[in-house]
Amino acid sequence: MDLLPFLVTQCLNAFSQAALLFFLGVGLTLIFGIMRIVNFAHGTFYMLGAFVGYTTVRITGSFWLALVVAPLVAGSIGAAFELGLLRRLYRRDASAFLMVTFGLTLVLEEVIRLTWGVQALQVEVPDLFAGIVFLFDEPFPVYRLFLAGAGVVVAIAIWQFLERTRLGLLIRATSQNSEMVHALGVDVNMVRSGIFGIGCGLAALGGVLAAPLVTASLGMAANAIIDAFVIVIIGGMGSFLGSLIAAVLVAFVQVFGNYYFPDFALAAMYLLMLLVLVIRPGGLLGKEA
Amino acid sequence: MPLLLLVVAALLAAAPLVLPVFVLTLLTEALILGLFAMSLDLMVGYTRLISFGHAAAYGLGAYGAGYILLHSATPLPLAILAASLFAGVVAVGVAWVCTMATGVSFSMLTLAFAQLLFAIAFKWTSVTGASDGLAGIPRRAGPFGLTVFETKVGYYELALFCLGVAYVFCRALVNAPFGAVLRGIRENEAKMLSLGYNTRLYKIAVVAISFALGGLAGALYSPFAGFANTDLVYWLFSGQVLIMVIVGGQGTLLGPILGAAFFMLVQQVLSKWTESWALFFGLIFIGFVMFAPEGIWGLLSRWRVRA
Amino acid sequence: MPPRAGLTRRTILQTAAAAATAPVVIRPASAAADPIKVGMPLALTGPVGSVGGQLRRACEFWAKQVNAKGGLLGGRPIQLLIEDTGGNPATTVRKAQEMVERDGVRLLTAIAASNEALATVPKLAEWDAIFVSGDNGDGRLTGESLVPNFFRPNVSGPMGTRTVALWLRDSSLKSFYALGMDYAWGHNSIDVFKDEVKKAGRNFIGDVYSPMGTKDFSTYITKIRQSGADAVYLVLSGDDYNAFLSQAKQYRLGDKVTMLTELVDEMVLQATGDASLGLVGGSRYPNTLDNPQNKAFVAAWKAEYGREPYMFEGDQYQSCVVMQAGIEKAGSIEAAKLRAALEGLTVNSIKGPITIRACDHQAEQPGFVVKVEKDETGKPVPKVIATYPAAKVTPPCNKMTYND
Repeated sequence: MDLLPFLVTQCLNAFSQAALLFFLGVGLTLIFGIMRIVNFAHGTFYMLGAFVGYTTVRITGSFWLALVVAPLVAGSIGAAFELGLLRRLYRRDASAFLMVTFGLTLVLEEVIRLTWGVQALQVEVPDLFAGIVFLFDEPFPVYRLFLAGAGVVVAIAIWQFLERTRLGLLIRATSQNSEMVHALGVDVNMVRSGIFGIGCGLAALGGVLAAPLVTASLGMAANAIIDAFVIVIIGGMGSFLGSLIAAVLVAFVQVFGNYYFPDFALAAMYLLMLLVLVIRPGGLLGKEA
Repeated sequence: MPLLLLVVAALLAAAPLVLPVFVLTLLTEALILGLFAMSLDLMVGYTRLISFGHAAAYGLGAYGAGYILLHSATPLPLAILAASLFAGVVAVGVAWVCTMATGVSFSMLTLAFAQLLFAIAFKWTSVTGASDGLAGIPRRAGPFGLTVFETKVGYYELALFCLGVAYVFCRALVNAPFGAVLRGIRENEAKMLSLGYNTRLYKIAVVAISFALGGLAGALYSPFAGFANTDLVYWLFSGQVLIMVIVGGQGTLLGPILGAAFFMLVQQVLSKWTESWALFFGLIFIGFVMFAPEGIWGLLSRWRVRA
Repeated sequence: MPPRAGLTRRTILQTAAAAATAPVVIRPASAAADPIKVGMPLALTGPVGSVGGQLRRACEFWAKQVNAKGGLLGGRPIQLLIEDTGGNPATTVRKAQEMVERDGVRLLTAIAASNEALATVPKLAEWDAIFVSGDNGDGRLTGESLVPNFFRPNVSGPMGTRTVALWLRDSSLKSFYALGMDYAWGHNSIDVFKDEVKKAGRNFIGDVYSPMGTKDFSTYITKIRQSGADAVYLVLSGDDYNAFLSQAKQYRLGDKVTMLTELVDEMVLQATGDASLGLVGGSRYPNTLDNPQNKAFVAAWKAEYGREPYMFEGDQYQSCVVMQAGIEKAGSIEAAKLRAALEGLTVNSIKGPITIRACDHQAEQPGFVVKVEKDETGKPVPKVIATYPAAKVTPPCNKMTYND
C-alpha cells in the first residue's frame, strides 16, 4: 500500500475512533464541570446503551430508533439517580460521590447481566451503512465514515446547545460559579439533573454506535471507563473543547501507535496522559483544580 | 480506648487457638488488606491527597517480594522488608511528579502512574511474568533457620504483627508535629505555605510512607497467596481500596482497617449466598453513603457514645 | 521454578506409591452417604463469565446423571460447590482455599480462566487436592508448571493449534500471518503455530499482538492485508475476538484472506453471526461426533436443555466422566489414590476412548477441524471438515511443540 492511501485510511480510522471516544468523554466532562463529580458509573451507562440498543434493534428492526431510545433510557435512569440520591449529597465531600457511583456501577452491571445474560450480543450495522467504499482501491467500511460524521454532527450540536440555548448558558454559568447562578434565582438543581441525564445519555449514544464494532458485552463498561477518564483528564476536566481535542489525540496515538509500535500499544495512552499532566497539570484546556 | 485496643489485639493474637483454619486464612487476608487501606488513609484522610493509584504501592510490594523470593535465597521477613522499602523509594519519584499538581489533578496523575506501571507489569515478562504473573512464590525459611512463617498460624501472626507495628507507627506519626502539618495541609494548604512550611516536601514524605506501608501489605500478600499478577496493579483495585477507606471512615486509621475487612468478608459471604452478589454489594455502599456518612468507624463511635 | 516442581513431584509420587500399598480400610456403613464434594470456584461474572456458565451447566448435568444412578463409591452422591470468582485469580485462590479448609473439598474442577488455574496449581500439594481441568488450555499447565495433582482431560491450546496446523499441511494455503492477544496464551499459541508452518515448508510472514481489551482492530486488519498472506491465524478470545470478527467482516477481510483460529466455539458464532462464516479452526468437541456415548449424551442434553451441547460443555463433561472413572477405579477421592488411578487411565467417553498419560497428565485424544457454514435454517454452525488421530495431535510429554 502506498503512503498516501495508507495515511488517508488510517486517518479516517482514527477519526471514527475519536468520535466514539468523544461520546464517551464529553458526558463525563460535562458532569464534572457542573457537579464536580467523578462519575464512576459512566462506563456502565455506555454499556447499558449498547444493550438497550440491541433490544431496540431486535424488536423494531431499526438502528435509528435505537440511537434515540438508548440515550433516552440511560438519560432517564441517570436523571432519576441524580434526583433520588445525588441530590442529597451536594453538601458532602467528593468521597461520597465516588462511593455512591461505585455502588451504582455494581448494581447496574448486575441488572444488565440478569436482564441480558452473559453472552455477547451482535448488533448489525444498519443496511444503509453496511457497504464499503473504495479509497485508492482499498475497501473501507461506510459505517466508519458514518461514525466520523456522527462525531462531527454531535460535537457541533453540543457546542450550539451550550452556546445558544438557555440551559446551555446555565450549564456554562453553573460550571463557572454555581452560587452566583443560584443567587440569580435559577434552579441549579434542575440544571444538575438535566446535565447528569444528558451526560449519561451521551455515553449511551456512544454505546449504541460502538455496538456494531465490538458487540454488546459485559466487558464494555470496565474497558470504557478508563478510556473516558483518560479523555477527560487529557482534555481538562470540565472542558467540552478539551474532550474533543483529547479524543482526536488519543485516537491518533492509538491508531498510529498500534501500527508503528505495537509493543507499546498498552502504555502509549498512559504515557500521553502523563506527559500532558506534567506539562499542564489541569489538562490541555482545564483550569488546574 | 488504648486498653480496648490492646484487648482486641490480644484476642486476635490468641485467635488461632480457637478458630478453624479457613477462618484464619480469611482473617490473614483481611489483616493484609487492612494494612493496605490504613496506609492509604494517611494520604486520603489526613492530608486530603486522594490517590487513584494506590494499587501501585501494593503491586510494587507484591512483585518485589515475589521476585526476591523466587530468585534468591533471601529469608521471608527480609524479602518483605526489602520490597516495602522498594515501594517507598519508588514513591519518592512518583510523589515528586504528582505533587506538582493538587486536588483532582493529583488524583489523575497517580492514576496515570499506576496504569503505566500496570502496562509495564504486563509487558516485562522476565520480571513480572506478564499476564500470568508470578506463581509458586515460596515462603522461605529464616533468618536463623526460622520456619514458623511457613505455617498458616505463623503467617497470620506475622501479618497481625506487621499491622500492629504499622498502626502504632501511623498513630505516633499523626499525633506528632508532622501529623499536625499534614492536617494543616488538609484544611488549608495556602495557610501552611504562608506559615513557612514547605508543604510539598511534607506531601512527598507522606506519599513515600504511605507507599512503603502499602508495599508492606503487598509484600505480605504475594507469599501468602503464592502469586502476584497484574490485577494487583490495576486501577479497579485502586478504586476498591479507596472505597475501603471511605466505607471504614477516613482519617481514623482504625476505620479503614475495618472497612477493608468488611469489604472482603461481605463480598466473600454474599458471593457464597448468591450469584448476584454485586447487586447487594452495590446497594450496601449506596446505603452507607446515604445513612452512615461517617463510615463504619462513625457508626461504632455513635453507638459507643450512646452506650 | 521447574526444578523445584520436579523435586516435589518425585517426592509426592513416592508417597503415593507408599499409600497405594497400604492396607485398604473398609469404611463403616454410616459414611456411605457422605457426599463427594467437588469444588468449582469459577468465573460466572466478568469477561469469561459465559465460559464459566457453560462449565457449570456441564458439571450440573453430570452430577444429576450420577446422582440419579445412586452416586459413586457405594451410594455417595456428588455435591457441587459452586462459587463465582469474577475471573480474578486472587479470588479464585481464596475461594478454593476456603472450600478445601472449611468444607473439606479434595476435588476441584471447572476453574475457567488459565491465569486462575496457573495461580491455583502451586497450592494443590498443600491442600492435598486433585484439580481436573475442564477447559484450561495453557500449554504450561502440563509443561513447566505441571504439578502432580493437576490433570487435563480436555484439549490443550497447543493441541488445538496443532490440529489446525495439520489441516493446513493438506491445504493449498502458502503464506501466513498471525494476530494474537498480548498475553501468555496468545504468544504461546502463535509460537506453536509458527513452528508448525515452518515444518510444513510454508511461509510465515509475521505476527502482531493486540493488548487485551482492544476495541479498534483497524490497524491490525490493515497489517494483515498489507502482509499479503493467504491466511491469518487468530488467537483471540472473548470480547476481543467478537470485535475483531465484526470489524473484519466490515472490511471484507475474508474475501482475500482465509481466517484460521485455534478455537471455534458457539458463543463466538452467536455473538458475531454471519461475520464468523468461513472461519476455519479447531474444535475441542463437535457435538456431531458419531459414537454411541456421544449420541446418548447429546440426546440426554437436549432433553434437559432443549438444545445441543456447546463445545466447552462437551469438553467439561468429558473431564467429569474422567474424574468419575478415576474415583471408581481408586475407590476413594484421596489425592494419592486418585492420582494413581488417573495416571494411564483410559476412558471411553463422548470423543471415543481417550487416555490420560502418566507422564504429564494430558489426555491423548483426537483433534477436530471445523469450518463455519450456514445450516438449513441459515444459521452459522461449525461443520467438521477434518479429524486427526490422538497420536498426531498430542504433543510429546511435558512439551508444547511437536517433533515432526
